[in-house]
Amino acid sequence: MSGQRVFMDFPITATSHTLADYRARGGYEAIGKALREMQPEQVTKEVATAGVLGHGGAAFPAGRKWGVITLNDGQPHYLCMNADEGEPGTFKDRWLLEHTPHLLLEGMLLGAYALQARHTFVYIRGEFDLAYRRLADALEEAYAAGLFGEQILGTDFACDLVIYRGAGSYVCGEASAMLTSLEGKKGYPRNRPPRLTVAGLYQKPTVVNNVETIANVPYIVKHGSARFREIGTPKSPGTQLLSVSGHINTPGVYEVEYGYPFADFLANECGGMLRGATLKCVIPGGISTKVLTAADIMPITMDHQAFLAAGSQIGSQGMIIVAEGTCMVSLLQVMTRFYHHESCGQCTPCREGMGWLEKISNRIVAGRGAPSDIERLYQISRANDGTTICGLGDAAGYATVGILDKYREEFEYYIANGRSMYDGRVEVAV
Amino acid sequence: MKHLIPEFEQWKLRYPAGFESSLTIPCLRRIQEERGYVAESDIDDLVEYLGVPRIQLEEVLEFYTQFRRAPIGTHHLQVCHNVSCTMRGAERLLRHLHDRLGIVAGQTTPDGCFTISRVECLGSCGTAPMMMVNDSYLENLDVAVLDTMIAELSAERAQ
Amino acid sequence: MVEFFIDGVPVQAERGQTVMQAAVASGHTIPYFCWHPQLSTPGNCRICMVEVEAEGGAWFDISCNMPVTAGMRVLTDSEKVRELRRDTMQMITLNHPVDCGICNKSGECMLQDHHFAYNGMPSLSRDPKQHATKFHDLSDRIMLDNERCIMCSRCVRFTAEVSKSNALGVQHRGDHSLIRCAADVNFDDDPYSDNVIDICPVGALLSRDLLDHARVWYLKATPSVCPGCERGCSINIWTRKTEWTLRSLDQRLNNRIDRITPLENPAVNGPWVCNKARDLAAIFERPRVTHPLVGGQETSVASAIEAAAALIAAARHPVALVSNWGSNEELAAFHATLAPSFQNFVKHDWQPQPGERLEDDVLIKADKNPNSYAARAIFPLLPSDASSAIPLSTDLVFVWGEGAPMHAIPESAQVVLLTSYALPENTRAHVVLPISIQTERAGHYTNFAGTSTGFSACGPAVATVSDAERLFERLFAAVSSVQAIMTAGVR
Repeated sequence: MSGQRVFMDFPITATSHTLADYRARGGYEAIGKALREMQPEQVTKEVATAGVLGHGGAAFPAGRKWGVITLNDGQPHYLCMNADEGEPGTFKDRWLLEHTPHLLLEGMLLGAYALQARHTFVYIRGEFDLAYRRLADALEEAYAAGLFGEQILGTDFACDLVIYRGAGSYVCGEASAMLTSLEGKKGYPRNRPPRLTVAGLYQKPTVVNNVETIANVPYIVKHGSARFREIGTPKSPGTQLLSVSGHINTPGVYEVEYGYPFADFLANECGGMLRGATLKCVIPGGISTKVLTAADIMPITMDHQAFLAAGSQIGSQGMIIVAEGTCMVSLLQVMTRFYHHESCGQCTPCREGMGWLEKISNRIVAGRGAPSDIERLYQISRANDGTTICGLGDAAGYATVGILDKYREEFEYYIANGRSMYDGRVEVAV
Repeated sequence: MKHLIPEFEQWKLRYPAGFESSLTIPCLRRIQEERGYVAESDIDDLVEYLGVPRIQLEEVLEFYTQFRRAPIGTHHLQVCHNVSCTMRGAERLLRHLHDRLGIVAGQTTPDGCFTISRVECLGSCGTAPMMMVNDSYLENLDVAVLDTMIAELSAERAQ
Repeated sequence: MVEFFIDGVPVQAERGQTVMQAAVASGHTIPYFCWHPQLSTPGNCRICMVEVEAEGGAWFDISCNMPVTAGMRVLTDSEKVRELRRDTMQMITLNHPVDCGICNKSGECMLQDHHFAYNGMPSLSRDPKQHATKFHDLSDRIMLDNERCIMCSRCVRFTAEVSKSNALGVQHRGDHSLIRCAADVNFDDDPYSDNVIDICPVGALLSRDLLDHARVWYLKATPSVCPGCERGCSINIWTRKTEWTLRSLDQRLNNRIDRITPLENPAVNGPWVCNKARDLAAIFERPRVTHPLVGGQETSVASAIEAAAALIAAARHPVALVSNWGSNEELAAFHATLAPSFQNFVKHDWQPQPGERLEDDVLIKADKNPNSYAARAIFPLLPSDASSAIPLSTDLVFVWGEGAPMHAIPESAQVVLLTSYALPENTRAHVVLPISIQTERAGHYTNFAGTSTGFSACGPAVATVSDAERLFERLFAAVSSVQAIMTAGVR
């Protein structure tokens, strides 16, 4: 049993995403309560006390981010939901968008109220199709029901929401790039300072939150932070939606409390390894997190502290499970190709380094690797560690170093012999 | 694209004042939805409508992968080749598409029916391997699913 | 003011300054490519990263975007900073062609300088470089080599923030990024386009006219003032150093203006000039009047002076049209010598040309002459209806400089002309005396705001051509002498 639920507590039906069904399961009660009984600061305080950590990958406490916004400062404030979900392996925000879009809209209303954001935005990746239509339909339902626009629920509270579709760029999932894209330009990330909460969208104070982070807010407001803290662990309160894929029997999105043991997750929710294969390793939270071997991950629970102690991170909750017999050199090649394709090109280490990583990977896979290549991969990763405008360069470094640290012998073999230890296999044999 | 302006004017109502620049991407998407790509004349008209420098629109069109400035085949097969899809057979299926259609990623069939692109993670790893066919997700692919899709879409075009 | 420390040395910074700004202001060197004091800060090259000592452990970040805080301790030359710079230079040169041997930027290239100072090693890559367009015609004036481009974006920011032509932008992304010109802008129409050549830190943006003309170390720069309008931008005129003289049958190659670049002057033009300044050779190197003419016949200076003096002395209604290309010194000399003999008017030697931008809020001014301010401080302006200033009774017009409205001069009047260039209008004059141009002497112009800036000679004088100042003295002496004779004769 993976514990209590914040989101996946209703059956998926043909209508479970509609306004009527959402209301029937208690939807929009939280915003009603907030508008009737709470001041904006109190909503923020509740979110802060709940201790919900950001679900986009950085795990920054959401309430602390909200608390930085100065109320009544005469400036427009913006709240933006980051639905650009592009971290390979990750598809859990999509579940929320498709199956309970109203939960997200209610979360946005609560955030807009807490932050005095008259205008809010959902930046959704351009490729999401059903997710976009569900959210757009839900938004029209909500407007028609007087939940957006002026005089919401008969109060002075007004809020508009724009769903902004991206157009194909992973880097636009980075908060500052996302805002620059929302300004109608190419998605170039920005240097900090200034922080986005000081100067974000059109240089105004802006809060950017992940979809799942926002999705937690109605529960917190409705049931209170104390109740929320009864779920999960003290340092990782609440639940996480885990997108899991790879060499398992039942890939999908599962909601588990933080602190759920990985071994149970693999056996139960994941349905065990595909066709009886043996676990080799796990990429825990999107390919930008360091790989954990079976020995690393089988004994531990799934929460921030445990993953950090094991040398990786919860990340974006996009778990990829890899079976024995998979060629890790081939997987790294796929990853370096990805980062190279997605680099925005602004800053030197990433613009040049990503292409270099891919070229070396390609050459090794083609059987023309050189012994110096391993050190070169490490060096390029180091040159991108903390030196770039955004985390894409660092991410490529983590992916590379993580795999090299654990599977160096596969690279040495490939370089020495001109071929893969595992014949270049990436699938589980039928 | 001028006939789309009333629609764009409606969108503006939900944006704060002064956000004209933001409309570039949504307007371009809508234009491409209709025409199948964005023509040079569309760019000129959009410059006039939004009052942004043309260079901004050109940069946007070249930066984002979903925008096209020239037409492609009727059915755009965008096959994910990222990690989870590769681990569940994406390369094998791309080879199958090549066997059936005679083209690789970046190419269009001579009859203009299919264009194949390799794309990065579409957020559908749980139903890997998968692809987008134009705007829709086609998931849990295998040879049979691909063959059915090719047959249906080829027949559709023949009508 | 805020006090902080760079390499242990206390530095006073103004509130709101970045570490880079404070460093530059206090004479500390932190390398940069993309940072420019007059442009926005993109922080993309990463070469300016510095170390900041802190209790919890040192941190590292770019100094161009790092606000100064009181007491912060910045290190610009620690071992880690050196390593970061080595890595950055490694990356910057990764796909760079390193074709200095055939690149015009060689010798004044920031990439060369920084690579030499902070890395100096060959590439560690075993893989082929990313290739891109070379010899891309960004405009008729500018060639773009995308392989050399390090995507610092200075050129893009310049056209967005300074010239506001919005001409340049970035196509594609990652290491496929290319600088390109917008389809609706002809970059030649941006009168400030060539500034991107100066600010490009590498040899990606080069002047097409000057391609492969001369290595920069063959040339020397002489400070001067652009005469193209009354802004009077400070410029450097580059000519060949004597030790690099070419053994050539065509000595013009050793005497010509090789190029013109801005000379930074915070009081006048900052670091910019417009393209007209770059093209001054087309003005300065026009065919010259080399010998005096009297009645269309070449003669000696002495004879010409004598002939001119006779005309001036005999005139009863003489008018002088004064050049607003005359330097402060020449104007003063004219004022002190010949001016009292004439009704004086300042003419516009140059009018705006068709297609030329008239005026803007960047640099360009409508008056296309360098010294109207000083000339008009002394003499009145020739009215636009010139014939009202030159009535039919005028019997002599003394014309100094080009551009006189010869058609407005009564047919019966004689014309004495002091000018530099062989122009069709010269035939109207009975006496023509050649005078030197700006590049052959020293002097000052005063711009529209009353700021005087000096220029120096950057090339040898033409032997047969005198300075106007000298001619004014000689003419004055000759006229006085004729007048003395006439007076004596009358008595």
